[in-house]
Formats: sequence, C-alpha cells, structure tokens
Amino acid sequence: MNLHTVYMAIIPLTMLSIPLVAAPIDTLLNDYSEISTAPFSAERGQQLWMQEFPHTESNTVRSCAACHTNELFREGKHIRTKKIIDPLAPSVNSTRLTDVKKVKKWLKRNCKWTLGRECTAQEKGDFITFIQAK
Amino acid sequence: MAQEIKVWDPVIRLFHWVLVITFIVAYLTEDDFLDLHVLAGYVLGAAIIVRLFWGFVGTRHARFSDFITSPGAAFNHLKETLSFKAPRYVGHNPAGGLMILIMLISLALTVVTGVALYGAEEHAGPMATLFIDSSANWEDVLDETHELLANFTLLLVAIHLLGVIAESLIHKENLVRSMINGSKRST
Repeated sequence: MNLHTVYMAIIPLTMLSIPLVAAPIDTLLNDYSEISTAPFSAERGQQLWMQEFPHTESNTVRSCAACHTNELFREGKHIRTKKIIDPLAPSVNSTRLTDVKKVKKWLKRNCKWTLGRECTAQEKGDFITFIQAK
Repeated sequence: MAQEIKVWDPVIRLFHWVLVITFIVAYLTEDDFLDLHVLAGYVLGAAIIVRLFWGFVGTRHARFSDFITSPGAAFNHLKETLSFKAPRYVGHNPAGGLMILIMLISLALTVVTGVALYGAEEHAGPMATLFIDSSANWEDVLDETHELLANFTLLLVAIHLLGVIAESLIHKENLVRSMINGSKRST
C-alpha cells in the first residue's frame, strides 16, 4: 500500500471524527454537572452575574457585571485595576471558552475576588452556560 | 581523623533554604493563593539578587570564580561520576557549579516572567505600568512561559538532588548536612 492510499483512507476518517469529539468546554461542563444538583441554567448564571457582593474591607460592591458589563459583547474594565477586559461573548470573541485551563483559572480567581469564596460546580456551570449563549 | 572545616557560610546556607521554601510554596500555591504565591516570588527574587552580589564578594566557596568552570569540565565530571570515579571537591564540583548557575538563571527568569504576568493580569506589582495598554495575548504568552520555566526549574532541582545523592554516596559524606551546618571534612 503506498502512502497516498493511506492518506486517502485516513483523511476522510479524520474529518468524520471531528464532530464526534466533544469540545473541551463541554467536557468541563460535563465534569461540573456530575457534582451539581440541578441542570445548568443561563438564567441562574445571569442572576449570579448581576448579583452584588459587598466587600467590607474596601467598602465597595463587587459583581461580575461591574467589570465585565452585563452585555458580554462589550469590552469590560476592571473596577479596581482599570484593566481593559476583552469581550467574553464567544460570538464576538471566538477565543473565549476554548481554553479550559484558562476558564478554570479565571473562574477560580474571579469568584474568590468577587464573591469572596470559590464558586460551586453548579455556579460555574451556570456561568459557562450563560456565557456560551452570548 | 580528618578535621571539619567550614565550607558554606551562613549567607549561602540561608539562601539555599530560603530558595527551597519559597520555590515549594510558590509552586504549590500557584493560582490558588495568589497573594502568597506573589510574596514567595518576591522573597525568592530578592534572595537571588543577594546571591548574585555574594557571588562576587562572598566567602571563598560562595564566589562564582570558585565553581564556574567550562562546560567541558562539567561534562567530564559527570562522566567520572557515572563510573563512580569523580574526584572530591570541597566546594561545588564542576557539574554542580554549572547546575547552580543554570538554576539561578532559570529561577531568575521564572521570577521576572512572574512579575510581568502579575503586571499584565492584575495591573499590580513593579511592572504594572508596563502593561496598562497591553493586549490579552501578552498574558497568554507570559502565563505559558512562566509555567514552562517553573517546570523546567523543577526538573533542574530533580537533577540537582540526584547529583547530591551521587556525590554523597561516592565520597561517603552527607552533603545535605553540610548545607545545614556549613561543615565538611577537610579531606
């Protein structure tokens, strides 16, 4: 069998397999769902997104929306560091929700900063579902 | 019986164990406790600056001129070590000395990329102003580089420990103990 025959056999197989492999973010969602009670909901994600958490030390109020805005298509600005944050909506920023390591890192760091604690798997799943729909 | 001589001065020993502690703390805390991670990185960076200075003005075996030789000499020493024939050095041997230099460089680069990443991601730390208008791409590049360097340093630490064990066995001495009390036997 020459090399061309091998390629001709492999290439269609590779193309066929692409839709069968879950996107990394879906694998993460699936992991979270296994330790959550309710199915993920974009509405609940949005509610928590808008919820304000008083931060007593700095005497300010923190929320996801305060830095990311409540329209995820827009650029955000961090209320403390003033850092410009690229839009989170995957529809305008295709790199969003593609790098699972990055997603986990920032969910951890930002939940801690904003809510004052780590988010539960349920909350993280709700957030991702909310962002995914944008 | 051979007499005990002072080889590692207090600055070197303190530096060594500060590195051990801060590197472990920084490596383990990573994203989980950013404040502690950054503090460990600052202490580690400061320790390296002191060490570089000490490498020129410190005691005999602390000086770079005492243990930095050619890569050929280091390679030769490694070969001799593998056949258990390596000669004994009271200070760093040529391979160990080269490893100290590589670890110092790798650690320094880890700290620098860490401080830069802290500036890019959090607009905090000494490099904060450099990244005020930077794009998110910088964060990704710095993040990956910082992590790669940290893991590379960990690999170097593992090789360093193998070297310490090998030399200790060949010359029947406890090099870890020497790094605690500073003494070795003279011959």
